[in-house]
Amino acid sequence: MLVDLAQNTLDGLTSGAAYALLALGFTLIFGVLRRMNLSYGPTIMFGAYCATWVSLNYQVGLLLLALITVAGAVLAGGYVERLCFAPHRRGSAIAAMVASFALWMQFEELATILLPRHLYAFPALYDGGPLTFGPLFLRVEALAMLAAAAAVCPMLWWTLYRTRFGLAVRAVISQPVAAELAGISAPRVFFLVFALASAIGGLTGYLIAASHEQVTPMLGMWTTLKGLLAMMLGGLGSLPGAVLGGLALGVIEAHTQWFLGPQMRDLIAYLLLFALLAINPPWMAAWTTTRSAS
Amino acid sequence: MSEALLEVRDVVTAYGKIEALRGVTLSVAKGSITCLLGPNGAGKTTLMLTTAGVLKPRSGSIRLGGEEIAGRTPNSIVARGIALVPENRLVFASMTVRENLLAGAYQRRDRGEVDADVERLFGRFPRLQERQAQEAGTLSGGEQQMLAVARALMSRPKVLLMDEPSLGLAPLVVEEIFRIIGELHKEGATIFLVEQNAHMALRLAHHFYLIEQGKVTFSGNPGSLAEDEVIRRAYLGSANA
Repeated sequence: MLVDLAQNTLDGLTSGAAYALLALGFTLIFGVLRRMNLSYGPTIMFGAYCATWVSLNYQVGLLLLALITVAGAVLAGGYVERLCFAPHRRGSAIAAMVASFALWMQFEELATILLPRHLYAFPALYDGGPLTFGPLFLRVEALAMLAAAAAVCPMLWWTLYRTRFGLAVRAVISQPVAAELAGISAPRVFFLVFALASAIGGLTGYLIAASHEQVTPMLGMWTTLKGLLAMMLGGLGSLPGAVLGGLALGVIEAHTQWFLGPQMRDLIAYLLLFALLAINPPWMAAWTTTRSAS
Repeated sequence: MSEALLEVRDVVTAYGKIEALRGVTLSVAKGSITCLLGPNGAGKTTLMLTTAGVLKPRSGSIRLGGEEIAGRTPNSIVARGIALVPENRLVFASMTVRENLLAGAYQRRDRGEVDADVERLFGRFPRLQERQAQEAGTLSGGEQQMLAVARALMSRPKVLLMDEPSLGLAPLVVEEIFRIIGELHKEGATIFLVEQNAHMALRLAHHFYLIEQGKVTFSGNPGSLAEDEVIRRAYLGSANA
């Protein structure tokens, strides 16, 4: 019984690590641009598809596949930023979001044109069996996901709090007009944050695809839902919250699946979100109401 | 009569169909304290934001030391030597006092000099030094105003623009702010100041302009127009534009 609990928690933390990374990407973009990027998941899917195409036509190593996924996601992310968010920087937030939704459709169509079958195999990370720690099992892919999250978080913290670029990002998040008056180029910050978020997304997408050993066009939808849910659970706009929200979502899903079955597993996340919106705790209220100046 | 460092000519800035500036012409002489007075809604903040590049003028020219800067991006205008202390201070609330100052020096690459400037500003604003590791959002209104001024000074601007520095501050604090403006002037700074508090501003300014409904309606030195008349028009606006 205790072993099951521990195993489920471990599995939950693993999938939670993926959700945390996805939520981090969403939060970075939302925090800086104050807009929801609905194309974030699809750009990750695009990166994974690029890697899939390469793996189907060439023999390439795992590291190169990971790099291609990241590069594809960053390229797609840049495309989204230039097309949907840069033109509407001073204008309508809704227009930007709807445009990003349109690009979501575009990426899905592009994926099905490039690789017409619904499902494609993706090279696994590791061919052997799972690692064992006493009575607990841990697949190598799961370990890789945990390691990725454990590496990205402190690197992101360091970037934001110990570099000049991070100072600029935090200034733009805090007071976009004053940041420009201080000589910070807000458009450049937006673009670079987009690239950073896309890179994190690409890495996560690669690990997800390698873990499932398959890609489908639905990957875009899946990553969007999980990432958005995790971000909202952890408190919109908070980076530590994104990580905690992701981990919590993973653990809750894992235990729900064990006790209530796989159908409840997907439902529980939405129920949780509904409950949170209804209760409206202070950390959500702070962001759902308009932020005041100074 | 010293040369004009900042020259604004026939600037028109609009918000959609509404023209907030309807052809503003004025100039700021080097080393002077020039003041822009006017009632609420006259266009003072719009002019400041247009000069700083946050708003783009529909037409007209703004020259800094002879170089055209109208329509440029805010960060290129900062690079050319203008710094705006915005209305409502807009400090970076979640960042420390020290980080706020470093943000003001964002474009500078001379790390050692930046650190020296931080120390110098702490000398001028001892309360900021006391609170240097505190989040800027926890500072009082007056302290935030000092911080906003210090942040703008970090870019070593040729012209310092200040938009209503006395807004919402207690009288003693206002005195202190204006004392600092006077000090900066003595050290050679060129200051373009927007103020609602016409009384205090006229005591300090060498030259002032009155703006009403998007146009400059008066230009002169304090004392050239009966102060009462100016203050009345600045606060209340005249019956006809």
